[in-house]
Amino acid sequence: MADKITLFVNGVEVEVESGKNLIDAVAAAGIEIPHLCYHPALGADGNCRMCLVGIEDGRPPLVPACKTPAQAGMKVLLDAAHIKKIQHDVMEFELINHPIDCPICDQAGECKLQDYYMTYHGQPSRMTVPQVQKDKKLDFGCGVVHDQERCVTCGRCVRFCRQITKTGELGIVNRSDQARVTIFPGRPLNNRYALNVVDLCPVGAMTSRDFRFQQRVWFLKKSPGICHGCSKGCNIVIDHHREKYADDRIYRFRPRHNPQVNGYFICDEGRLSYKRENEGRLTAARLGGQPVALADALAACHDELQRTEKVVVLLSPNLSLEQMLAAREWAARHGATLSGYSDGYLKPGDGDGYLIQDDKSANRAGLLLLGIDCRRETFLAALAEAELLINCDNELERSIPAEELQPLLKGTRTILATSHDSPSASTAEIAVPVASFSEYDGAVVNCDGILQYFRKAVGKNEPLPDMADFIAALDGTAADRAGLFTALAALIPALAGQSADTVPAQGLKLNENEAAHVSA
Amino acid sequence: MEVKILSARFHLKNSNTLKVAKKHGAYKTLDKLFATPAEDVIDEVKRSGLRGRGGAGFPAGVKWGFLPKNTGKPVYLAVNSDESEPATFKDRYILVKDPHLLIEGIIICAYAIGCHDTYIYIRGEYTTQVKVLQAALDEAYAAGYLGDKVAGQDYRLDVTVHRGAGAYVCGEETALLESIEGKKGQPRSKPPFPAVAGLYGCPTIINNVQTIASLPFILDKGADAYKAYGTEKSPGTHLFGISGHVEKPGMYELPLGLPLLEVINKVAGGVWKGRKLKGIIPGGSSTPVLLPEEAADTTLDYESMAAHKTMFGSGGIVVLDETVDIVQLVKNLIDFYHHESCGQCTPCREGLGWMLKIVKKILRREGTMEDVFLLRELCDNIEMKTVCVLSAACTMPVRSYLDKFRHEFEAYVAEAATAPACQ
Repeated sequence: MADKITLFVNGVEVEVESGKNLIDAVAAAGIEIPHLCYHPALGADGNCRMCLVGIEDGRPPLVPACKTPAQAGMKVLLDAAHIKKIQHDVMEFELINHPIDCPICDQAGECKLQDYYMTYHGQPSRMTVPQVQKDKKLDFGCGVVHDQERCVTCGRCVRFCRQITKTGELGIVNRSDQARVTIFPGRPLNNRYALNVVDLCPVGAMTSRDFRFQQRVWFLKKSPGICHGCSKGCNIVIDHHREKYADDRIYRFRPRHNPQVNGYFICDEGRLSYKRENEGRLTAARLGGQPVALADALAACHDELQRTEKVVVLLSPNLSLEQMLAAREWAARHGATLSGYSDGYLKPGDGDGYLIQDDKSANRAGLLLLGIDCRRETFLAALAEAELLINCDNELERSIPAEELQPLLKGTRTILATSHDSPSASTAEIAVPVASFSEYDGAVVNCDGILQYFRKAVGKNEPLPDMADFIAALDGTAADRAGLFTALAALIPALAGQSADTVPAQGLKLNENEAAHVSA
Repeated sequence: MEVKILSARFHLKNSNTLKVAKKHGAYKTLDKLFATPAEDVIDEVKRSGLRGRGGAGFPAGVKWGFLPKNTGKPVYLAVNSDESEPATFKDRYILVKDPHLLIEGIIICAYAIGCHDTYIYIRGEYTTQVKVLQAALDEAYAAGYLGDKVAGQDYRLDVTVHRGAGAYVCGEETALLESIEGKKGQPRSKPPFPAVAGLYGCPTIINNVQTIASLPFILDKGADAYKAYGTEKSPGTHLFGISGHVEKPGMYELPLGLPLLEVINKVAGGVWKGRKLKGIIPGGSSTPVLLPEEAADTTLDYESMAAHKTMFGSGGIVVLDETVDIVQLVKNLIDFYHHESCGQCTPCREGLGWMLKIVKKILRREGTMEDVFLLRELCDNIEMKTVCVLSAACTMPVRSYLDKFRHEFEAYVAEAATAPACQ
């Protein structure tokens, strides 16, 4: 815990953390100092001049808050007339050459220029001379589209490419009001985090080709979530909306700040993985490849289990801890073999040491935590003897090529519970649709042993069963989610005394021993 | 009135060569220099009261005193030869006429501050000057005045010439450092000041060419001899570039403290063609204009200029005769500063362009009094809200023209009001 110091804002005593700049320090106390160019992940640049504050008895009397460390006893002036005038004037300067095309701008609704105009300016334009004209809808690569006229040249995007990805594709060329962000000719953005510049841009200058013109942001419901694209478990905001007469649909993922996991950013692959939540979903159960009602499929599962002795249950490494535990308990009750074989989810060499990991699954650490066997040999040996394979959303063809898989599955019937349609969903004897990760609550453990709890974000018109529901339905019962969490808390000492509501927002760091193994 | 301290060798044929310069006294202070402790050199410069000749007039010795001691980092000297202020043309004379005076001054300054690597940042447009300077440096290296053993002493000093690429703002000391580092020439926020964290994050002193060139005299003749010239608070001599509507424009070395009008009339031959004086820009385009009645009791020193709410600046005096169209002048002025704004800070980046367009509108006789008021207000809204003083270098003089020559703007507006609508 950092030391606390006391300073004064507008004459009122405020206790803040020491060692921070004024913007961050007083923001923690609920006081906003407007700023465009400063971003905590990118440091202070001091070019927008929006954060100029007065320092009483200070030398100099006017300082950029982003570059000024909070010091004990400092007397900060924020609501003095001359400071308000500066904020007003800087907003006027930002807006004189801005196209003010809010009605067709994707940023409208989450735009700093709009917000600050309402708060700090609010006057009609005094611009009676022609505006500066610059280039529009420039393709910067990686799905980033740039509008130079909307740009306030705060340089956040430039600094991101220099400091975070260290690829330096962007720069500001020219001087004076001709200054503009651009790429080198023929050298577009080329890094796996490029779309973060869209979030970083405080205005509508950087837009995502994917999200452009898709939805007004004020319609979007912003639900927190955890990206399931790899084992990092980056924190995201799931922006979704139910159009009239349509189903709830995700429009984009955005990074959500978590200093313990992903900081301020996510990778582009994870960001665009929202599409998989909308598309290619299995929505109806199938029996022998033909669509049937869910109840009929579950009844068929029941029959299947009645006449089967040897069962293998295969788990996806993307399932939540609760779902894995439900499967583990079911397998124990029924004497079934349990496997988490999923080598195909690993993509060696793909990780970059930053956010992107080799392991493209969200909860492999959870499989290990629950002591579930993930070895290829044991799975294949069990499969060879099994009469029935219950596949809990494991994309087996990622681990075993289809032509090798076919002979292995000969003589084994398959029940596939899956969130997504695939050839396997047609070839399986029974296929049951289940919810995907944006549609249920659960806990996952990331590659660094951090347990994170996420909530259901999307509510479909016709909700699909959670995997735990499906497993319970095999026994003709309903899943007891609270019970599952209590059982987890009993298994994992770090979770002792916790409920789903008390798991910290930044996640729970499991200790080394725990992360390695929990006894069965 | 003229004196010859900095310009002592300017009149000699081939004064830029080592042979001629040495024959007439160049490098003769070096023996004394290396026999004097560095602190004593700094004290002598402090005592001389030498003020920075780049425009701000900060005492040079005091600036050197800001260097932190024993940081374990190298100390750099950057010589500012980016002379780009309109109406300023003093450093170019030193560079061309007596580069060895500058080199000698660099050796003195470097020794005093403990620097072994000096950069001369020279304006990109100074093509002749850079050639002459580099030739002089080559001669100085060959003669052993620079290099591993300066003048035979156990002291290394290397001097590198760095050419700018034509940006006025690189005359601002931190933009100059950015430019030497190979980055886009944009001023840095201060603090930290360059004396603490300058070039490559190391302690750095930045001095103007003329400041450095004043050092050999101070070391040779002593601080008191230097203080014999000029006033108490503005001692020494200065190279004044007098241009505009005078009979004898040119570069003159004068002691500080002389009456402004006397200098215009006696040294520069007075306003040309027998015309009347309209105003005087006292120290480069960025200094507020003086009306004739204000100029009457102004003397050429920092204090008198400040008392008249203008600045001594770079000593580039521009004389305006009665025919000058002030609105046109203001347009040219804003055009320059708008073009040279680095584009970093919002008020300067957006504001100067707005001001330029308003003046152009007034000149087209489409302006209203609201435009004139807006122009005046924008000066206040932009000034001192930015990282560097480039914006103030534009708004301070513009404000002075608007206040002192308001009637000329009003005349344009009145014409606009009566003119038939533009087709």
